[in-house]
Amino acid sequence: MTDPVLSISGLSLAFGGVRALDDVTFDVERGSVTGIIGPNGAGKTTLFDCISGIRKPDAGRIELRAPDGGVAELVARRPWERNGLGVARTFQNARLFSSVPIGEILRTVQHTSMQRSGFWRSVLGTRGARADEAETTRRAEEALELVGLSRHADKPPSELSTGMLRLTELAAVAVVRPKVLLLDEPASGIAQAETEALGPLLRRLADHLDATIVLIEHDMPLVMGISDTIVAMAEGAVVTSGPPEQVRTHPEVLRSYLGATA
Amino acid sequence: MQELLGTLPGGLVTGAVYALLAMGLVFTYKATRVPNFAYGAMATFVAFFHYDLVEGRTFALHLSLLVVRLDIERYVQLAFWAAVPVSLGVAALLGLVIERVAIRPFARARAPMVVNIIVTLGLALLLSALTQQIFGADQLIVPNDKAIFSRTPAFAVGGVNVSWERFGVMVLLAALAGATWWFFKATRTGLAIRASATDPDVASLLGVSARKLAVVSWVSGSMVAGLAGIALASVVVTSDPNLLLLLTIKGFAAAIVGGMVSFPVAVGAALGLGLGEEWVRHYLVSIDAKLWQGAPEVLTLGAVIGVLALRPRWIFTGIREDEDTGVVGRGGAADSALARAIDPVEAFRLTRAALPTGLWSWTGWRTAKRVGLVALAAFTVLFPVLPFIDDFYTLPANLAIVDAMVLLSFVVLVGWLGQVSLAQGAFVAVGGAGAAIGANTLGLPFPLPILCGVALAVPVAVLVSLPALRLRGLHLAVATLAFGLAAERAIVPRFDASDRVAPPTWMQTDRDRYWVFLSLATMAVLVCWRISRTRIGRSFAAIRDSEVVAAAYGIQPVRVKLTGFAVSGAIAALGGTMLTYQLGGVGTQSASVFSSIASLANSVVSGIGSLAGPAIGAFLFGLYPELTKGEVQATSLSFWPQITASALLILMLAVNPGGLASMARFVRSRASAYDDSDDEDLGELMARSSGGDAADLDAENAQEVVR
Repeated sequence: MTDPVLSISGLSLAFGGVRALDDVTFDVERGSVTGIIGPNGAGKTTLFDCISGIRKPDAGRIELRAPDGGVAELVARRPWERNGLGVARTFQNARLFSSVPIGEILRTVQHTSMQRSGFWRSVLGTRGARADEAETTRRAEEALELVGLSRHADKPPSELSTGMLRLTELAAVAVVRPKVLLLDEPASGIAQAETEALGPLLRRLADHLDATIVLIEHDMPLVMGISDTIVAMAEGAVVTSGPPEQVRTHPEVLRSYLGATA
Repeated sequence: MQELLGTLPGGLVTGAVYALLAMGLVFTYKATRVPNFAYGAMATFVAFFHYDLVEGRTFALHLSLLVVRLDIERYVQLAFWAAVPVSLGVAALLGLVIERVAIRPFARARAPMVVNIIVTLGLALLLSALTQQIFGADQLIVPNDKAIFSRTPAFAVGGVNVSWERFGVMVLLAALAGATWWFFKATRTGLAIRASATDPDVASLLGVSARKLAVVSWVSGSMVAGLAGIALASVVVTSDPNLLLLLTIKGFAAAIVGGMVSFPVAVGAALGLGLGEEWVRHYLVSIDAKLWQGAPEVLTLGAVIGVLALRPRWIFTGIREDEDTGVVGRGGAADSALARAIDPVEAFRLTRAALPTGLWSWTGWRTAKRVGLVALAAFTVLFPVLPFIDDFYTLPANLAIVDAMVLLSFVVLVGWLGQVSLAQGAFVAVGGAGAAIGANTLGLPFPLPILCGVALAVPVAVLVSLPALRLRGLHLAVATLAFGLAAERAIVPRFDASDRVAPPTWMQTDRDRYWVFLSLATMAVLVCWRISRTRIGRSFAAIRDSEVVAAAYGIQPVRVKLTGFAVSGAIAALGGTMLTYQLGGVGTQSASVFSSIASLANSVVSGIGSLAGPAIGAFLFGLYPELTKGEVQATSLSFWPQITASALLILMLAVNPGGLASMARFVRSRASAYDDSDDEDLGELMARSSGGDAADLDAENAQEVVR
């Protein structure tokens, strides 16, 4: 634990009297897969909302560290700025742009990286804008191929199954080449056999992108199988964190999941 | 003090009229979550019917079915009170029909708010055109002996006489307010509506039938509207669509202040609005009518913007903001008998089955299509010099190009960006004014005044879009309506036809202008086409579908919305500059809110998401009626084009939310959904996910499908 890419410290957020996040503090090691587990209402998605900028925490810091030691504080930044810094996320129920074919979605999400395509450059079709478009299309095709959905590029999300939407979502975050990938329940709503295939795919994705993955997951075999570190949450606070085998047997974790008094 | 007291009766009566409208709007919204822009039109329809009946009317019915012949022709005249139940019966029937035809299909398809707004606006257009067609385009003038309340003075306040009629309106408001209070407090249906307003899902689980509620609320809402229409007829009823709209906007302003759910706040706001207008009229307009023209409408705009900007808590209890996104219904096509009867997919399949297979797979289709397009382009360019086209038709063609620009501005704003603006007409005036300033005040040579008009539209568009940065759906629609109204009444009259713009010597005839306009329009379409194919267009679509997801993927909602509003405003303004060169002065007619709404309706019918839409719309609604006008007598004003267009709008939306121009794509995608049964195994997909044999992606095709 010497090279964290993401340092979260003292993160707190209350909705009225409910403490959704209560002094959450942990580091995410560069290049690792970190699983976040916890019962419903533990504050996992709220944590993602704070990291990706959809919600603003009441207190605390979120620091994104570059390999050369540069530090970017995220809390003060808007969601699209965080995306530009390399933090990408998926949503719990595979939220995508509902009326756009998935091939086009994968080009849409590369918005930030198209630096040579301002309004007039795009309209006039300058050489830089054309190169941007070509590059965007190439990367979109590549990402679809990575998840095996090339055949469905011209179908909108409404015509695809939940599993295919999950894959599209993975392709969408992969295509922006993020440094940190936040996946909110990538296995929810898909069949058991597909869940088993998801683990290796996530691993391959992490290697391919050279990215750090943080995922929220309820499927224990999946999350225990692929994570290097597990962070267990309950009632907005971190209960414990550590290697999967250690967290699995932690009495607090057992109690919050099974309700048994240890 | 005496003077202030004297303004009270007038202000309170105006306020009472707004309050009656606002109460009806809140009632329907509470029960069915539909903002009823047609409420004023419904009241007017019933009022016209009622006084027609009182004056005496000939009902004629001629039917010939095989051997049965039916000829009824009958003169009917009823006494005032005898006619009331008949009129209310008609009102109930009207409510029933509207609920069945124009409301239920959308409720079933879970249509987004934008679609509901457009549908009821279409309904308002339809009803006002029907009223004019059936009962004549004249104002409804109620003679003294037919008035519901006597017009003799009842008492005096501050030296101003209050007639029994005005007093009666106040009493009616109080009575209806009391009845509404009792209805919601003491009846089962009232309780059910309150429950449904709080949480429709839980209410339906507890046995509240949403459909029954909708029927009850539309029928009773229509009857209350009719009653109000009859009572107000002698004070305010009008079939003039502009005035009707003005009243509806004021009603909406008051209802919005009450969060679309609170009756007391809405009534209070309406009375306040009425009093405020009376004071503005009394203390400002009467002193200098030219300087302060449109001040009452600016007051309405200020009230709406102020309340929405302050965002008091109660405003947002009624409308859930997350419901207000998107332009395409999530539920797909509506499941009504009406929609099924003309389902394009069924028609497509039947046609395909009927055709011989050889013809279907004929490879010449592509060539035929290309030849057709080239022929169409040649026809468009050569239009004014074609031997069989009379010179007479060039003027309508020029005006149709202006129409096309307004429709195009709606395509960008509504179809691509998913925002509603009912103030596009104001941009036509802005463009015209800019051109007039450029040509007359600055004395610039020809092409520069056009640039002036377009450039002036950009800051105005940014100003108009400021509410859009925080508002969506209904709030945005009402805010832009109020803006359009204020622009129509306060800004447009200041640029009258005396501000003539002289075209250059080589642009004196309609034929010369046709080619200039066509080139300018082509440039606008090209810019839009580029937008649709690039990053800009994709960011529009992203904002339309979900702002939260777009922001998470690095797209700045504020910047994208400003860009979209500016582009759309500039296109409408370009149309305005053309209009100025065509007419010589600023085209105030196209600047009205009514014309904005009619254009929005037309653009939905002709295809709101496609670049071909504006061309189709300009031909269907601009050029075609003019070309065929020779057959219609010039003396009899016909409202059939408007009736057809608005009926078509409702029908088109019920079947296919994309409009005509997207029909081909719609048919293709739904037909392919029928055929494509080989759903592959996802596990297998994942297993071979890194292998690339499935790379049959056709990027060209993908782009074509998007736009």
